[in-house]
Amino acid sequence: MDELTELESRTIYVVREAYSRFKRIGMLWSIGKDSTSLLWMCRKAFFGKIPFPVIHIDTGYKFREIYEFRDRYAREWGLDLMVARNEKALAAGTGPETGSKLDCCHALKTQALIDFIAAHRLDAILLGIRRDEHGIRSKERYFSPRDERFQWDYQNQPPELWDQFKSSTEGHHHLRVHPILHMTELDIWRYVEREGIPIVDLYFAKNGARYRSIGCACCCSTVESEADTVDKIIHEIATTDVSERAGRAQDKENAYTMQKLRALGYM
Amino acid sequence: MTTVPRAVIIGLDGVPHRLIERYASDGTMPNLGRILSRGTLRKMASSVPDVSCVAWSTVITGKNAGEHGVYGFMNLRPGTYRFSFPTFDDLGARPFWEEMPGRRAAVINVPGTYPAREMNGALISGFVALDLAKATHPKALVPELERIGYRIDVDASKGHSDMDAFLRDLAEETESKVRAYRHLWERGPWDVFFLVFTGTDRLGHFLFEAFDDGRHPYAAAFRAHFARIDEVLGEIEGRAGGDGLFMMLSDHGFGPIGREVNVNRFLAERGFLRVVDPSPDSFEGVGEGSRAFALDPCRVYVHLAGRYPRGRVPPADRERVAEEVAAAFGDLRIDGRPVARRICRRAETFSGPHLDAAPDLVVLPHRGFDLKARLAAPQLVSRGAFTGAHTQDDAFLFLRSGAIPESAIPAAPWVGDVRGLIERGIAR
Repeated sequence: MDELTELESRTIYVVREAYSRFKRIGMLWSIGKDSTSLLWMCRKAFFGKIPFPVIHIDTGYKFREIYEFRDRYAREWGLDLMVARNEKALAAGTGPETGSKLDCCHALKTQALIDFIAAHRLDAILLGIRRDEHGIRSKERYFSPRDERFQWDYQNQPPELWDQFKSSTEGHHHLRVHPILHMTELDIWRYVEREGIPIVDLYFAKNGARYRSIGCACCCSTVESEADTVDKIIHEIATTDVSERAGRAQDKENAYTMQKLRALGYM
Repeated sequence: MTTVPRAVIIGLDGVPHRLIERYASDGTMPNLGRILSRGTLRKMASSVPDVSCVAWSTVITGKNAGEHGVYGFMNLRPGTYRFSFPTFDDLGARPFWEEMPGRRAAVINVPGTYPAREMNGALISGFVALDLAKATHPKALVPELERIGYRIDVDASKGHSDMDAFLRDLAEETESKVRAYRHLWERGPWDVFFLVFTGTDRLGHFLFEAFDDGRHPYAAAFRAHFARIDEVLGEIEGRAGGDGLFMMLSDHGFGPIGREVNVNRFLAERGFLRVVDPSPDSFEGVGEGSRAFALDPCRVYVHLAGRYPRGRVPPADRERVAEEVAAAFGDLRIDGRPVARRICRRAETFSGPHLDAAPDLVVLPHRGFDLKARLAAPQLVSRGAFTGAHTQDDAFLFLRSGAIPESAIPAAPWVGDVRGLIERGIAR
């Protein structure tokens, strides 16, 4: 088996394992390259028809291209698409300009998901996160418990040796399942290329810039790039030393810094 | 290398000189009383402005902010109204432990030292450290700190919602610092051992009024925290041996808050500032026609043309606008009392390569006033969750007799003198 096929098999193994253990399961689809690749592998795992809902957390502030892509492929791939929105916060005018960005993220993403999981009584959700995305994610497991407040206690996680996954939940916990944890950004692009997976246009360079990571239009910034094809993106990533989430990570650090300063009365 | 450090330095963030005097003599801190009797205690001036990142940056570099470049917890990014947050990487001068060849230092919880970086020894960054892995050098120390449950900081947000939970968290955080210091001490030998407790500052922000008011519901809790610090001080001083440098210091003092004064509101009322659609995440709300604005705590910047997108004040008018603002602050009275104790002008306060980035004025308040620079504050005067405000003129410095002759200790030191004293103690 070649390397990409091995990575794919591992993902499909985790997806099927999760599906066989949980009745109430869903997959989060941000429409980005990672979760779209995961979606692709889920389709392969179940021979074209995914037997659980695919959930989009819609903050209302996503790029237009993201909505168009979502609606088109939900139709073409016959997805059971469910949209999670915090309507109450949106009606109250929550947005990136009205409060702090951290509050905005919390209300429109985290709270939207908390409410959705509660309303649909899900015990597990599949997510397209990767170990190489961020330092803290290197501590993630394939099956990762979250408590009722959504907190992740990374020091209290079951070991995962020889594919023995602890996939039961206790009390109010739900499990997050990370089938592409072992793939890197470069693996994803090589897989996208091999499989011909459709990807939102925002990733491809226009006028010397492209998005390397996409989300809400207000909080994403482009990187300088001439890579307007998957092939060129693979070459770019293989040779760059700038981190994938450089633009987003700094924002997040600033948001945490502000939160800490505010708690002591600064700002 | 010696088995006990040549220099042991204990920082107590935000502890005023008068608290040290009172608790050393009234029995709250008996070890402190004993230690003080064997050396020299001085009242010390903090930095301008008197916030921890500026003050500790001054302590460790021995330089004023014009030389080290850290003027506060936040700045505006050049050419924008967006915040940037200076880190250890932005400190424009080296801390003393990076300039003492052949000496090993353990440095724990000094504010302004995040992210941690290569050095001869071990460093755990203090406020505003976000991620323990980035706050720790060497990396091998990270799992050890995780094992002992090291806490970078208390969760200060609890102080706004549940004071008992905050105090429990503070006790846990303090004990984790004690475990960390013991662990690192054993991992020595060190030439310099430098530990800062920051819980004292957090307690001051929320409960400083309990220091002067014996009937305050948290008066006993306030004293209990210092009693615990005293036990740890006694333990460390005992370990430190008799002939090395033993220093204790704070970076600024604390006083009670009667009123919070929203200085941008004041600037707006006096016509210096026009605020349009303020957002808490930026200073984008500094509108056309604004001639000055302030960043926390009260760093006033003239809204210069060429420096800020909507700045229209020509550089030639910079001093004149600054003087107009200074005059306005000089006249400001609340409840019949003047607010400004001192108005520090840029050129007389700072010097060095970062002078150009310095605030045009820094206003230091009289006791009882806390100056706040929120852009969106609706009123000039408010009363928030905090009961303590930093004070600039009553930090403290203590040196045990022996390592340095008393005559070498300035009669009225400021935080910029500390480095020289440490170096002198180590060099013996």
